[in-house]
Formats: sequence, C-alpha cells, structure tokens
Amino acid sequence: MKLKIHNFKVEEIRFGQTDSFENGILTIDKEAALAVVRNVRNITEADLEIVNPGDMVRLCPVKEAIEPRSRTDGRSIFPGVTGDVDYCGAGEIHALKNCSVLVVGKHWGGFQDGLIDMGGEGAKYTYFSQLHNIVLVADSSETFEQREQQKKNTALRWAGMALAEHIGNIVKNLTSNDVEEFDFEPLTKRSPEVMKLPSVVLVLQFQSQMENPGYNDLLYGWDTNHMVPTFMSPTEILDGAVISGSFMPCSSKWATYDIQNAPIIKDLFAEHGKTINFLGVIASNLNVALEQKERSAIIQANMAEELGADSAIVAEEGYGNPDADFILCLRALEDKGIKTIGLTNECTGRDGASQPLVSLDEKADAIVSCGNVSELIELPAMPKVLGELESLGRDGLSGGWAGDEKLGPSVRPDGSIIMENNAMFCGDQVLGWSVKTMKEF
Amino acid sequence: MKKAVLYINQFFGQIGGEDKADFEPEIRTEENGVSQALNAALKDIEVTHTIICGDNYMGSRQEEALAFVTGQLEKIDFDVVIAGPAFQAGRYGNACGIVCKTVQDKFGKPAITSMHEENPGVDLFRNDVIIMKGGKSAAAMKKDIAKMADYLNRKLAGETMGCADDEGYFGRGLRHQVWPQGEAPASKRVIDMLLKKLHGEPFVTELPIPKSDRVPIAAPVKDLSHAKVAIVTSGGVVPVDNPDRIQSASATRWGRYDINGMERLESGVFKTIHAGYDPAVCDANPNVCVPVDAMRDMEKKGKIGELHHYFYSTVGTGTTQAEATRMGNEIASKLKEEQVDAVLLVST
Repeated sequence: MKLKIHNFKVEEIRFGQTDSFENGILTIDKEAALAVVRNVRNITEADLEIVNPGDMVRLCPVKEAIEPRSRTDGRSIFPGVTGDVDYCGAGEIHALKNCSVLVVGKHWGGFQDGLIDMGGEGAKYTYFSQLHNIVLVADSSETFEQREQQKKNTALRWAGMALAEHIGNIVKNLTSNDVEEFDFEPLTKRSPEVMKLPSVVLVLQFQSQMENPGYNDLLYGWDTNHMVPTFMSPTEILDGAVISGSFMPCSSKWATYDIQNAPIIKDLFAEHGKTINFLGVIASNLNVALEQKERSAIIQANMAEELGADSAIVAEEGYGNPDADFILCLRALEDKGIKTIGLTNECTGRDGASQPLVSLDEKADAIVSCGNVSELIELPAMPKVLGELESLGRDGLSGGWAGDEKLGPSVRPDGSIIMENNAMFCGDQVLGWSVKTMKEF
Repeated sequence: MKKAVLYINQFFGQIGGEDKADFEPEIRTEENGVSQALNAALKDIEVTHTIICGDNYMGSRQEEALAFVTGQLEKIDFDVVIAGPAFQAGRYGNACGIVCKTVQDKFGKPAITSMHEENPGVDLFRNDVIIMKGGKSAAAMKKDIAKMADYLNRKLAGETMGCADDEGYFGRGLRHQVWPQGEAPASKRVIDMLLKKLHGEPFVTELPIPKSDRVPIAAPVKDLSHAKVAIVTSGGVVPVDNPDRIQSASATRWGRYDINGMERLESGVFKTIHAGYDPAVCDANPNVCVPVDAMRDMEKKGKIGELHHYFYSTVGTGTTQAEATRMGNEIASKLKEEQVDAVLLVST
C-alpha cells in the first residue's frame, strides 16, 4: 500500500471572513466552522479559540486532539467513524501540520480527560503545547453522563472530528511541495536486499478495556474490545483507520492526533530497507479478563511468528491492569525467540517507590519508559483558562482531586493547581514523541 | 558556612585497629585525617566535630551507640552528617548506614556515606540513605571523599540533583520522570535498543526488572525417621518477655529459644509479638504457630528422628528482603553448626 500525505505547515491561525490557507497562514471562518459543530448531535453550546505555543493559557478538561485533514476522493478522514466504512492506508490525504483541533469541555470533565498548559513550566508535560491549536470549547445535552466519572464524550469527540475535517477541507484542493510517501510493500514481494535485513513487527495495544460501548478506541469504527489481534499495514494507522477512545487516565491515552502521526511508525518506515525489514502492525488490544488477555497474547505472538518476525516492538496504551496484557505479550513473543522491546509508562507512585508495572517478567529485558503517571505536579495560576478548571478536582479526572488532607484541593482558589501527571493530556506520549524518561534516584 | 559532623570508626579515628573495636563513642573537635581531607574538598561547609566509635561497639551495643550519637547531635548546630567512607569493611558500613538513617529520621537533615558495592551495608541501607559508590580500600580515600564532597557542595547550595547513576550513588529504588538534556524521542530510543538487541550488542533497558531471587527447592530428606528437625518461624513467637527485643514489624533481629524437655509451648510462657495478624489465637496456644506439640507426637511415633532443642523466630511483616536474607543466612549457618537435617518453616 502506498500512502501519500500532502503536508501543509501552519505557522499561524487566524479567524477571518473566508476560509483560506496561504503562506502558512490558516484563516478560518469562525461562524461557518461553528455551524458544522452545532450540526453534530447533542451539541448545545460551542465556541472556538486559537492558542499558540507559549500562550499563557490553561486548557481543561481536554478530551481529544485531532489533526485537520481532508481527502479528494469522497472518503471521510475516519472511515467507519465519520463516514462510510471504506479503504484506508492507500491513496492521498491532505494534512494541516503543526496544528491540531483540541476538544475541551465547557463544563464537564471526567476520568479520561486532561489538562494542557500552552506556556510556562507546565508546557513541557504535553506535546500539544508545541502546536498551534484550534480549540473547540463545547457542551452537550448528554446529561446522563454529566455527573458520571467515566464519560463517552461522544458529542464533543464527534464534533471535534467534524471540525477537523471541515478545517482540513481548506487545503483539500491545494498542492503542497511537502509530500510524505509511505510505501508498504507486500510482504512476499520484497527485494532480496530487504528480505535479508532483520524483520520487525509493531504490536499496538489499543485501549479497549470498557465492556460497554462508546468508550474504546475504534478500528474502522469497530470497538477494539470486540476483536482479536489483527494484521494491518502501518499506512492504515497513519491514514485514520483508528481513532482514540474515551477511557484510561489521560497521560496514558493516545489522542487521535498521536495515532494519525505515530512517530514510531514513521521512524520504522525511515529504517525500513536500511537497517530493518518492517513487517507492519499487529493491532492488538487490552482486556479485562485473564483469558481474554491470554488469548490476545497468543494470537499476536502466533501472528508475529508466522510473519517471520525476528523482533517486535510492543506499545501499551494504558497502565495498571493493562500492564498484565503488556507483559503477557512481551513474554509470549520472547518465548518464541522474537527479540522484543516494550514501550510504555510506569506507575511508581508519588514517592517513586512503587513497583513500576503491575506485572513484571524477567523476559521483559528491554523497555523504553516514558514517564510516571503518579508524579506530583504543582503549577502556578494561568491568566486565561479555556473550559472549566474546577473540573480537574470536581469531576474525577484521574490526576485531580476535590480535597486531600495533606495537599488540599487540586484547584486552589488562586487558580494554581496541584495534580498527578495522570491528568496531563496524553502526556506520556508513548507512541514515540516522549523525550521524557524514568531514572532511579 | 554550613556545618558538618563526621562519623568514623576507631581505625580512621586513629584509636587503634581490631583490638580497639570495642571503643566507646567519643566526640572530638580536633581534626583527623578524614576530616582534613573533607575540609579540603568541601565548599562553604566545614567539619566541626567528629564522632568516633568502635565497630564492635556499634555492632553489639547499637542502641547505646546511637543514643550517644543523637544525644551529641542534639547539642550541636549542624547541617549535615557525613559517615565513612567505609570501603569494603562490613561492620563499618553497617555503622555508617545506621548512623545516617538515624540522623535523617530523627533530625530530618541530610546524611551521606560511601561504600564499595560489595559492602553488605549497601543492600541494608541503600533504600534509606545516599551511599556513594566507593572504592574497595582506604587507597580510594581521596577519591571517595571528593565524590561525597562534590555531592554535598551542590546539594547544600540548593542545586537540583541528578539521578543515582549521574551522581554516583546506589539507587534508592525511587523512580521518577526526568527530561534528560538532549534526550532522543521514545521512538528513536526504541529503534536504537531494538537494533542493539537484534545484533547481540549491549543495551540498557529504561525499566530494569528486578531479578526475582528464587531459591531452588531442597532435595527431599532421605530418611525422616533419623532426621533432626528444627522449627523456624517468621510468626514472631517468643518467650513472653521477648528477651531479644525482636521488633513487631520490619524486624532486624531474630531469636533462638530452648524447648528441650517441653511437650508443648505453654500460653503465658510464649506469645507472639508479630504486628501483622491478630495474636489472640496464637497467644492462647502458641503451638498453632510453632507446633511443638505435633512435632513431639511425630517424634514419639518415630516419624522424625528428633525435634531440635531450639526453635528460631523472627517477624516477617514489613521486613525488607535484604534484612530477611541476612537473618536467613545467619539462622541457616547456626542450624548447620547444630547439625540440623531438616527445617519446618512456619509462616503466618
């Protein structure tokens, strides 16, 4: 499969009378964009803001990040989700780079939502502080979950995707001289030179631990809870075949933006034909019952073996209970003689003294670690807040609390905050951005 | 100028060698070789006092020795305590570790020591105390002192300190997230590690999995009817006055108690001091934890050769793996000395 991504690098975002993209300046007709958002079911209130790197703005509760994209052939940017089920991974797509659509709750947050500081000392905790962002601040009529800790965030997430496609359409008919090409050759049709190289398969453990529908990552619109590991071209992942869900403490989550841009996939492509033979992706999942965990581990290991993988990389979207799935997969691959590297974060507690993963195995001897979910973070007040900061403590965000005997509330009257890394929006960047690691003190 | 108090043993305190190892602790203000070397390397910190204590004294009369140390420190204005360096000397390492830990716990002030990796004090105190990685013998004195001084100079100046590997101390098991200067993104780190693993080159995992310390299961006793069997327990059963003052949790001590001629352990004579379970049943009948009654019965029926004259006891709750390993080794060597063939290990 050959995927061409036409990149349009955004240097500045403005609101204006008409949509346009010129010389790196993205101009958005705010009212037209809001009309698209208001057209999404259950959206009651919506507004748009622009935030840039270094702006002293705090966003909370952040629910999703999406790269604005468009296609010229009538397929939607997320087949099976925002449009009919269709092919992904081949053809052409236009992408606005250096920017994202951020979806923020106007009032209500939840376990899965996070916080972004665009500037100041808090900026380093999330990737999205480096981007120019169009921020959708919205509310919905989904009153059934307003006071639930676990939220599907359906209206807001779907509004975000609709907005990302609407903004992406601004560059739909433009040409770019920055075109990325990802050519995933069929496995049996590769040159002897490539076949001689050590082969690598990438196992992506998508978050799928909610039994009820509406919370898990979707693959072509299909709930990843309802699948066994499946073989995919890495171009499908980059092309919108998978969207993020609405479950898991936020720093461990992979935003849809992360999946669309997965650095680990891009870097494996860059090495393909040079140092490795990239065999593609095994889309796996994370489960609840032990039997389900073992089933997925067996199938992904068998698949890797039959693909002839010399080595594997396993990346986990989550921590805690899913560490068991992660370690099972690593062990199953190592047991087949497949040299495996793990990619995850840790939960060592506020004092750093806890066992880093729920489950450990000596066979997991090569792990790249991207952070400690429970690291305590204290940040000063920000002059501007988008959303409702109070939600960090009030609504059960995984890294926030209403009150604590020693630490007081997460959100203080003066607007300063104290929280766990858990609530940093997609902060551990396990799909590959993370320049953060773990060290022993 | 910040003030430091130094702790050293009788040898480095120029009192004498092994023959002076029972030397009672003293505090002195005059300089010695170690304090001179430290003062040369420290910036804005000065060693004002030195406490000298014999290694055996600290080993056998630890409470008194520590009471002396804390009693003296209460009278002094100090910012930090430096102990050692202890090199590979086991008793000295133990003393430096316990002094540093006590200072931190009691005064909330920093303490630092230095040991060679094979010093048993490292495993006992690395989780509690900054132990710089030091040399094997006093030949490394200058280097070890320079490392401790460099750490303290920056620490007391309020600088942000690096991780254990960067600073050169034994990791305390505390893992935190960091942004190392110039760190490559995780995707690049993964591929780098992958290529190294694929090509059999050395690589360093970012999440070391602790080695599980599995002890192989012993071969079966060939003939139990001729075996001398001892009872060992982590259930905390002791004579009611707890003569060895075994701690109720996080134990560092164990005891050996005579049961020769006893048909059973009597309530009121033995009890449990274990804080990790409800003691009522065990106190009413200590045989539920140390089954002398059942073993005597087996002895009479000829199922075992004999019940050893002593049972061994400690407390398992909260006890660190390092302490448990040390106590286990000590008990095992005693059992070997006493020609015990088999052990009934009773946990709770």
